[in-house]
Amino acid sequence: MSFRPSCDPLASSSSSNTWSPLVQRLEQEQEQRQRQQQPRGGGTMVPPSQYGIKYAVHIISSHFGDLVAKVCECLLRRGPLTHRNIVRFMEISASQVKNCLLVLIQQNCVQAFSVEHPGGDEDESRRSTEYMAVFDNIIHRMRFPKFVAVVSQELDKECVELFQGLLQHGRLTLEKMIDRAKSGQEDCPAQDATRETLSKLINARFVERCPDPEPHLSPPSEEEGRARKRTKFSKVAAEPQTIEERVLAAAAPMEAKRFLTIFHTTTEEDGQKTECSFPGVGEKRKCDALESDKELGSDGSQVLWRVNVQEFMHRFRHKACVENVRERLDGGAAVALNAMLETSRSMEKKVKTDNAGPLTINTIYEEVMKGEAGRAMTLDHLRASLVMLGCERGTDESYQIDLKNIIELAQNEEVESVVLKRYGREAYRIFRLLSKANRLIETDKISSTAFVDKTETSKILFRLWKDEFLHMEKVVVTGPRQTQFLLWKVNKSTLWPHVLDEMYHAALNLNLRVAYELEKENELLNLPIEKRSGPLEKRYNRLRTVRLLLESSLMKLDDAIMLFHDF
Amino acid sequence: MSKRKRPDLKVPAPYMTEQEKILYNLIQSKQDLGIWSWDIKRETSLPDNVVDKSLKSLRSKLLIKEVVNVQFKGRKHYLASEFEPSSEITGGKWYNDQGFLETEFINFLKDQCLKHIRNLKIATVDTVANAVRRSRVLKIDCSSQEIGDIVRALVLDNDVIEMRSNGLGEFASVPTGRMCYKCRRSPDAMKEPRVGVMAWIPCGVCPRIARCMPGGTISPMTCEYYSKWLDF
Repeated sequence: MSFRPSCDPLASSSSSNTWSPLVQRLEQEQEQRQRQQQPRGGGTMVPPSQYGIKYAVHIISSHFGDLVAKVCECLLRRGPLTHRNIVRFMEISASQVKNCLLVLIQQNCVQAFSVEHPGGDEDESRRSTEYMAVFDNIIHRMRFPKFVAVVSQELDKECVELFQGLLQHGRLTLEKMIDRAKSGQEDCPAQDATRETLSKLINARFVERCPDPEPHLSPPSEEEGRARKRTKFSKVAAEPQTIEERVLAAAAPMEAKRFLTIFHTTTEEDGQKTECSFPGVGEKRKCDALESDKELGSDGSQVLWRVNVQEFMHRFRHKACVENVRERLDGGAAVALNAMLETSRSMEKKVKTDNAGPLTINTIYEEVMKGEAGRAMTLDHLRASLVMLGCERGTDESYQIDLKNIIELAQNEEVESVVLKRYGREAYRIFRLLSKANRLIETDKISSTAFVDKTETSKILFRLWKDEFLHMEKVVVTGPRQTQFLLWKVNKSTLWPHVLDEMYHAALNLNLRVAYELEKENELLNLPIEKRSGPLEKRYNRLRTVRLLLESSLMKLDDAIMLFHDF
Repeated sequence: MSKRKRPDLKVPAPYMTEQEKILYNLIQSKQDLGIWSWDIKRETSLPDNVVDKSLKSLRSKLLIKEVVNVQFKGRKHYLASEFEPSSEITGGKWYNDQGFLETEFINFLKDQCLKHIRNLKIATVDTVANAVRRSRVLKIDCSSQEIGDIVRALVLDNDVIEMRSNGLGEFASVPTGRMCYKCRRSPDAMKEPRVGVMAWIPCGVCPRIARCMPGGTISPMTCEYYSKWLDF
């Protein structure tokens, strides 16, 4: 049965008697939808944790202000909502909500989609537009300097500038890029130069076409049926998807079109401004009242481009694997792995690829020889390194490596390091024992295998369990005398999200501390350089060191967040 | 199979009162696991003073002995004299008579095993055990299983990496599928494993992170750990 309010709830504030049941009904519908949206038995996208949401909201607040952050928070906590529901939950004006959504969509932090609600006996089905926060893209905002660093290493200065423009503005048409390149310069580069720069970025896969601004999502039953039909003869059953995964999949452009560097000429005359256009580059965003949800999408005649985050995640994942191998094994193994990853990257369809390869020894060796570190490597040395890596060897001397295993090892090391620092060496041994065993082990057995005193073992195990590092089960054996045994296990499926939440918490804390330190010394920062002498200069230098330490720690912590969330 | 000495048939059994017989039979029935004095009182339902007096008498007659239960060192635990306490009570080879872990001995063995693994480059438990025996540093003999326990403890300490031989390259001397060990780092490298990112910042090692929030009693703005970390 579709819901039709008996009166416009926005019309009168005195209509409290009809208002509260209305809000209650809306909340119930929302909760029901959220329950339906929960993945049944899987789906790879995990909803953001408590501190994940807080961290994301903080990022949006720092970049776009508190109002936009509040709208974002509403979507993150409640899931996809219609514009009307956002207004009701937020209790702010419709135009304010629309402007906030405009900003978030422009910056790729929100994705709109349309969905059909089946009608009741007498009512027709109705289609509505909902807005979904894209948590990953919000967190990616903290990685922009890393993205720029990658582009700087591979492409020229013009590409870096154009890329930075895309990061700043979220999404741009070619026309806007050209405008931007022209603005503030007397000798403006030609349109062709901007096209060429954009082509370089697209060919390097650093930039992609924006997704569909408002894809239509079929009801779950229809989509499931189609999915079942597709996988009827496939060996692997299709994993049920979350609403977020379905929306992003529906919005994504076809692979063939995503990096297509055919640039359409604009259909609009120069200078014409439509109601639907995004504000011009460099202009202050204006509060245009928009009449319908369709106006929140892009003008279909112009292609919008944005940063292709997936390419950077690929590269960062590979880099993390190589660094882990370098530290755990040696430089030769790192060179061999790097060569395999460079060769196979273009073939990887998704970031979280389980394996790299199979690749023949000659293919790997060709790639090894390209790098300075690999030029002194002989074929035998390469073979030994591949063996040390634990590569699976095929009959034609081809090698394949399990990347998922390397990522898991890196994750294990990260968590074990926390256990060592927080709880001590004996706890570290116990944790490693349980992590490697991946099964329930009884207290005495843990004590004897880890060589930790029995009384101490119990204390450590309880501490780790209380802090959610371990899972515990009690087994009671009945007989002449009832005996209770305690069994312990590292349950990564619950521990890893807990660790990730702590990382988001730590990242938020680092951000807050930076802001606090800067605010504390605000007057000092506003002093001209010549007035900063003696103790003031000392304080200034201290502040600079503190800021460097906090911000570099945040960047490193972000690597660990990627390890647990994105890789 | 619990260890039990053969009773000497030439020596007549000492006289026991009725209460002492009840206690002795109960203790004997527990064989090498023994029984806690509190459990004796509970199971026999005898008055406390009678139990205490009888236990003292049985001990003086050398019919029972008191042993340290490694899990509950403060408890009085009794065994019939003819039994040796099980490893569940004593903690096994690695515990002394007072019920404490022989930490010094274990650490010594670990250092020896690590030294031999480093020399061998790739080692199995058997090769390490043979090397330890040949070095004759130990006054008592340690079985291969016990050396294996020590080597696996080195793996838990992250001083040694454990892997299965594939018979190729550096594993050529080890049969395929056999578990082998190699040193994780060179002797000159730092003793501690690499510090993870999270462990390097105050929040990562803070035991109160769950209670930390802006404006709270514990917050990033007022945190002592942060203040010390940023004390330049």
